[in-house]
Amino acid sequence: MPLIRRTWTAAEADKWTREDWFVIVLSPICYFALTLGVALSFLLLWEGFAITAASIVLIVWMHWIIDPKMKAISEEYEKNQQEYLRDLEDSVRWKQHEQAAP
Amino acid sequence: MNVLFTWLDWLWVAAFLLLMIGSGVLFYRLGKRSQSDFFLAGRGLPWWLPASSVYATHTATDTPMWITGIIYRHGLAGIWYTFFSAWAAISAFVSTRIFRRSLAFTQAEWNVVRFTGLGAEMLRGWMAGWQVFMNMFVLGWVGIAMGKVCAFLFGWPLWVGLVSFSSGCAIYVLAAGYWGVVMADFQQGVIAFLVIMIVSIWGIMVAGGPAGIAEKLMMLGETDRMNPFAFTGWWTGEFPAAWFFTMMVIAILGGFGMGTSIDWYPEAQRIQSARTVRDASYSIWWGTLVGLVRNSVWAVAILGFFVLFPGMTETSEYEMGWFRLGFDYLPVGMIGFFFAAILAIHLSTISSHLNLGALYATRDLYQHYWNPEASERTLVWVGRWSTLILLLGSFVYGLMMENITEWLIFALWIMTAGIWLPNILQVVWWRFNAWGYLSAWIANLGFSWLVVWVLPEFGVIPKLAEYQQFWLLMLLGACVFIPTTFFTKPESMDHLVKYYVQARPLGWWGPVRREAERRGLIQKDSPERPMVV
Repeated sequence: MPLIRRTWTAAEADKWTREDWFVIVLSPICYFALTLGVALSFLLLWEGFAITAASIVLIVWMHWIIDPKMKAISEEYEKNQQEYLRDLEDSVRWKQHEQAAP
Repeated sequence: MNVLFTWLDWLWVAAFLLLMIGSGVLFYRLGKRSQSDFFLAGRGLPWWLPASSVYATHTATDTPMWITGIIYRHGLAGIWYTFFSAWAAISAFVSTRIFRRSLAFTQAEWNVVRFTGLGAEMLRGWMAGWQVFMNMFVLGWVGIAMGKVCAFLFGWPLWVGLVSFSSGCAIYVLAAGYWGVVMADFQQGVIAFLVIMIVSIWGIMVAGGPAGIAEKLMMLGETDRMNPFAFTGWWTGEFPAAWFFTMMVIAILGGFGMGTSIDWYPEAQRIQSARTVRDASYSIWWGTLVGLVRNSVWAVAILGFFVLFPGMTETSEYEMGWFRLGFDYLPVGMIGFFFAAILAIHLSTISSHLNLGALYATRDLYQHYWNPEASERTLVWVGRWSTLILLLGSFVYGLMMENITEWLIFALWIMTAGIWLPNILQVVWWRFNAWGYLSAWIANLGFSWLVVWVLPEFGVIPKLAEYQQFWLLMLLGACVFIPTTFFTKPESMDHLVKYYVQARPLGWWGPVRREAERRGLIQKDSPERPMVV
């Protein structure tokens, strides 16, 4: 089994998996590195260019990891959305407020 | 200073205002179709539209003043003060995903999706009222910043800048609601980003370029200002490393929760306006990223301002630094271009908060508690009246602002410290209930007064640094909300299962997940898709 999985069924994508945790770690690093890298690049410091380049690579990698999963989640969820929206509208109108799950 | 505008400058301003207001009004027909259109653009936007709105909304008239202030005081290390928006790093892939699946119009409504019963309703009412108030406050705050800019440039009385541009903005918010907001935000965001880059790079060049800034800082004996990690010690001084690490924790781990930053509330609206879960995640992530890049460029420009004007001691003097780079040094004919971009910055924030405050007033207060069976047409009109009331209220706040700012900044702070952990727990822990969350809010209100003002005033405890206040308030709050949670019943399992199947939260949800599996609503190891409750 590969370290990073890129094909998902809807039910599998709904679970929190290793790929999510990769992104949870990578994403703040991308923000931190880009903030630092851009500031230092505008001061024409070589460290700035290196950090900015590294952060761009990380951003691309992060999206490569998570995008297939996000697509699978979205495609599945949108099918059920209309029913959930009806529930929400009932709730704001005080209908079925304590609706029991089967 | 009084800036002299030529006919070309006024032409820029007129053209930009026409473009910004006109592009909003164009969507009048879409905005009036339903409550969902007036407040969420029908939940159908591709990720880049709400992303541009995230960026534009959080580029306000007072943002360059605030960033200028901290960079002028602390040098490049001050950039970490602006890093609070990094909560979006984790949130985009955790709480944004969960919140989008809840479909709640607002964070107040989310409370009744996640919790149930009287506690949930109390939370919804409290949060809706608080958010109407907060949006009016932000409108007044940002509006008076525009008043100050106009007073600085043209010598106008403060109220003129406050009233005139916010009123212009209200035209398209009243007409088209969130459709107007988001469409205008897109072009305002593009204009604002381009002009911020142009003026900042221009300012850096005027200061002698990067090499010139470094050389002048060396001559001033201030080379530490170029070090992004130049703290005043581990624990002591105005900006210790302990405060830096605390800010990192608040910002980054805060992404697991909802409402850990005040910016969450406008973002929640953008999340729900995105057409899919994926679009919602990317809109928050990319919109915030552009904001962080902007902050970095601003920071270097302010270093340039520092070497041009070192030794300023009055905040009111140096906080206008970035504006001065533009107005003092841009060539004739470009001043109006710069001012028009400031208008773009201003209008994008005003429009967002007008529509957001009206959303809480309409959806959570009027419809839920006053007229549950209101027609879509009525709700759109209530949205418009709420927008107008928020606008008028913001004028009153704006003109009082000198007196109340300190109090309300304190109010913002108390929203963060003791509520930070409960805001995460409500997302990641099934056992956390409405009473625990409500008790955290109430306890924090009392503890904040005691820790920040009352006890130091009476000499019971020393005046604590901000990072110490944060940790102490979190600890004291936990002493209340954790026992409250365990001494009261958990939310009903039926409600939790329904929520779990729909939102699929991350964290400690084992008993709820097993119950959902037992009921056959989700399948343990099967690739089949889950059933709808």
